[in-house]
Amino acid sequence: MKGRVASSVLALAAGLGFATAALADGEYAGVTIEAKLIGGQQYEALYARIADWEKATGAKVNIISQKNHFELDKEYKADIAAGTTSWCVGSNHSSFAPQYPDLFTDLTPLVPAESVAGFVPANITAATINGKLTMLPRAQFDVSALYYQKSLYADPAKAEAFKTKFGYDLAVPETWDQFRDQAEFFAAPPNFYGTQYAGKDEAINGRFYELVVANGGKMFNDDMSPAFNSAAGKEALQWFVDLYKAGAVPPGTTNYLWDDLGNGFASGTIALNLDWPGWSGFFNDPAASKVAGNVGVAPAPKGSAGVRTGWSGFHGFSVTEGCATKEAAASLVDFLTNEDSQKLESAAGPLPSRTAVWAYVKDQAKADPYKTEVLAAFEETAKTAFPVPPTPYWIESGNLIFPELQAAILGDKTVDQALQDASDAVDSLMKENGVY
Amino acid sequence: MFRAKLPPWLVLLLPAFIIILAVVAIPLILSLYSSFTPYHLTRPDTLWKWTGSFNYIKAASDANFWKAFGRTVLLLTIALNTEMLLGLGLALMVSKVTRGQRALRTAMMFPMMFSPILVGFQFKFIFNDNVGLVNNALQSLGLTDVAIPWLVDGNLAMFAIIFAEVWTSTSVFAILILAGLFAIPQDPLEAAKVDGCTPWQSFRFVTLPFLMPFIYIAMAIRSLDVARAYDIVQVMTNGGPARRTELLWTLIGRTGYVDARMGYANAMGYIAILMSIGFTIYFFLKLQTARRELGMGEM
Amino acid sequence: MASATQHRIKKRALKTAHFLGLFLAMSLICIPGLWVVLNSFRPTIEIMAKPPVWMPQSLSLDHYRAMFGGAGEGGIPVMTYFRNSLIISITSTVIALLVGMAGGYAFARYSFKAKGMMFVALMASRAVPGVALSLPLFIIFGRTGIIDTHFGLILVYVAMNVPFTIWLIDGFFRQVPKELAEAAEIDGCTRWQAFWKVEFPVARSGIASAGIFAFLTSWNEYALASQLTRSTTSKTMPVGLLDFTSQFTLNWGGMCALAVLMIIPALLLTFVVQKHLIAGLTFGGVKG
Repeated sequence: MKGRVASSVLALAAGLGFATAALADGEYAGVTIEAKLIGGQQYEALYARIADWEKATGAKVNIISQKNHFELDKEYKADIAAGTTSWCVGSNHSSFAPQYPDLFTDLTPLVPAESVAGFVPANITAATINGKLTMLPRAQFDVSALYYQKSLYADPAKAEAFKTKFGYDLAVPETWDQFRDQAEFFAAPPNFYGTQYAGKDEAINGRFYELVVANGGKMFNDDMSPAFNSAAGKEALQWFVDLYKAGAVPPGTTNYLWDDLGNGFASGTIALNLDWPGWSGFFNDPAASKVAGNVGVAPAPKGSAGVRTGWSGFHGFSVTEGCATKEAAASLVDFLTNEDSQKLESAAGPLPSRTAVWAYVKDQAKADPYKTEVLAAFEETAKTAFPVPPTPYWIESGNLIFPELQAAILGDKTVDQALQDASDAVDSLMKENGVY
Repeated sequence: MFRAKLPPWLVLLLPAFIIILAVVAIPLILSLYSSFTPYHLTRPDTLWKWTGSFNYIKAASDANFWKAFGRTVLLLTIALNTEMLLGLGLALMVSKVTRGQRALRTAMMFPMMFSPILVGFQFKFIFNDNVGLVNNALQSLGLTDVAIPWLVDGNLAMFAIIFAEVWTSTSVFAILILAGLFAIPQDPLEAAKVDGCTPWQSFRFVTLPFLMPFIYIAMAIRSLDVARAYDIVQVMTNGGPARRTELLWTLIGRTGYVDARMGYANAMGYIAILMSIGFTIYFFLKLQTARRELGMGEM
Repeated sequence: MASATQHRIKKRALKTAHFLGLFLAMSLICIPGLWVVLNSFRPTIEIMAKPPVWMPQSLSLDHYRAMFGGAGEGGIPVMTYFRNSLIISITSTVIALLVGMAGGYAFARYSFKAKGMMFVALMASRAVPGVALSLPLFIIFGRTGIIDTHFGLILVYVAMNVPFTIWLIDGFFRQVPKELAEAAEIDGCTRWQAFWKVEFPVARSGIASAGIFAFLTSWNEYALASQLTRSTTSKTMPVGLLDFTSQFTLNWGGMCALAVLMIIPALLLTFVVQKHLIAGLTFGGVKG
């Protein structure tokens, strides 16, 4: 034990040594980097490290915008429209990045190859758009795993009733079909629900997407024509419809966004909850959550094709094409995503995107069984995680798809009708934009 | 001097015109132009491609657009009339209070202190079906044992949005009408009393006609301002679920900024602007008539 | 005799109905607002509790403490936002009132060609939804370098408030009989003096209420501010509310705490201006 601590301290020291060695003293003296960084409490702890970078390089960082990603996304689009893109460093997100292929520059020639090699390879693949490495991921990797109330699986009466009804043992679900059975079984509205899903805006679209993939389908064909109006797509949408019809989800679920889900599970009224890693601390905090101490975490269940759901995304930093001092900007991006930065950031809960930091984080959590369980579940899910389809029309087509999904869930349309309408709408969008 | 040549009314109005020209008229010309192009925010070169009335035809032949249009007119009509009636009632009740009126009036204006974006979040939580204030209260009082999906059911969701909108804006009507009530000359009212009019009659034939200009001013101001409800709706439902609460503003906002199809969004925006202007002119004409009846001068 | 008793009963019933109606209306107005205030003192676990906690069990200043704390501990630059909001709202209100008084006076006292048309055009400018304006404004502001500055937002808010200040003030000037001002002019006052001595005091209630409206509009505006501000140099409090949201989370308790800080100054100002409102309103009786 002692030896391990000592060696990890050594590794930390080595990491620090490397970081300072890479930044020659005063290399960028006189340079000012304008940065647009994501704001919000959980993201800002990292920015305290900017002062260290300034000290090491002699450059100055001027944060000219701090907003959440949805607002930042609008701002980038407006910037492209106004031609005001001479600022240098911007926060980026893997789900938004394909929309602005020309805004950000290729980081490959600007960042040492060994630094890039330290990232989880799948993340680098997802950050590469049209052959350009558009961003370096920070320790904000997101994929959803299954949170559940442990006590539900410790009650022999429940276990027996479940077995009688469904013919198999009650255990934490491994497939989405089991998940549906159990959600319907646990539900006792209006005070307790089997599960919930984010039914609003791009959220339902993302959930649908991952379930389509888990059922063996895909959203788009290779030419970007819609492919979700398939057996796998219908099965996925039917899953949402069934839960809603059975009353296993809160009736307002089609208007829920992520914050509603987190607060709902923390209120103790939800049995099973597919949710993001950022909530793990919140759920087990007695001051914030009623289910603290009773939270179990398991890898995301699998769809009918035996594939785990794993819609994933991550935050990163990019350098603009219009930046006058790209080397300095890339050095800042590299610094904010290096091992020490990721260690600092992931200490608060978010998942890292560097292989070495994963090992470090797991080691740090050894003494904490809950944290270990969380990390194991998310690591397992992350193994097969996949990003959004790499098309600039992902968000636009999503805005056409989600109202149709909601219409099917609420019973305004049949599953077949809804998917047909969504597919037609996406098809004409692609045609209008000359994709095919 | 040049200045001396300008008529005094123009000198007085010039600052207003210059500011509005700079902040409203010039941007509007820009967006009018872009509504004839396939302008896409992330592809600036699309601004130079002229497609004529393509966007307008596309909007006009889109059923979702017209549904949103109809819903917006419905929301405007219901919300404005409810606000007016409630505001009138509130103003009458408050004007009758003799003690503590100043505090009461401040309390009456309380909702106006709330930013529309905050109102959106507030009512999103109040109407949450699982842990929201309304359902909790109904369930605790034993009035219902189901979770009412306030923000999902087609009618209830519109109701919840209108409730939030009415909650924020009734005060505007109340305070303007109250100001009107205080400005009513006492002589005609006393004369009516002497003539043996019932309170209802003196309200109907003396107070109300005098209040009408104030009511129309409030109506017109609100009909201009009501687009601010965008913030509220966007946070509460963002037009969903399944487009059940889709309004012109949420549709335009999403098309323009999230989808980045600014040309198309601006075309829809222009149709929305024409509608707002229609409402404004309607109330303006009403205001003129009311003023003429009271002999308060012509326009 | 019987009719007198009846009359008294009727009067009492009316009084009770009045009281009840007022109580109900005030409850509906205040409860959703006070609920926000209350939430700012409650821990999140209690706000989101199910079954609900009706009697607050633990009230604390935790949300406020966190808000004023450092970055990363839940702190946001509240004081900077507050200062920005104050500067922008007050300046734009004062300018809008001056411009509005000039314009309102012109419409109320002068007659000129196409007056009705001009009036409608002015009002119609307010009918333009912010969504349609924000992008062109952004582009123009971006090119002229006034994006993310106090000046830019002040300019926008003046334009937003002018039509409606003109309208309101015009209405109140109209109530001042022309004869009053003319009498003053006959007494040897210039038009300027007549305005300040006679018409301004009478129209003061209108100006006060226009002022309140303009201030509250600027103080609470979000849609345009979220586009035209970017950093702490100009971000206002409504935009700051969004600091409590991130991709997946929303800190409602913290948001309520900031909301309370937004509401208090607005409430104080309204209460203070009420005095002038009353003073002005009593002058309304001059007419007749």
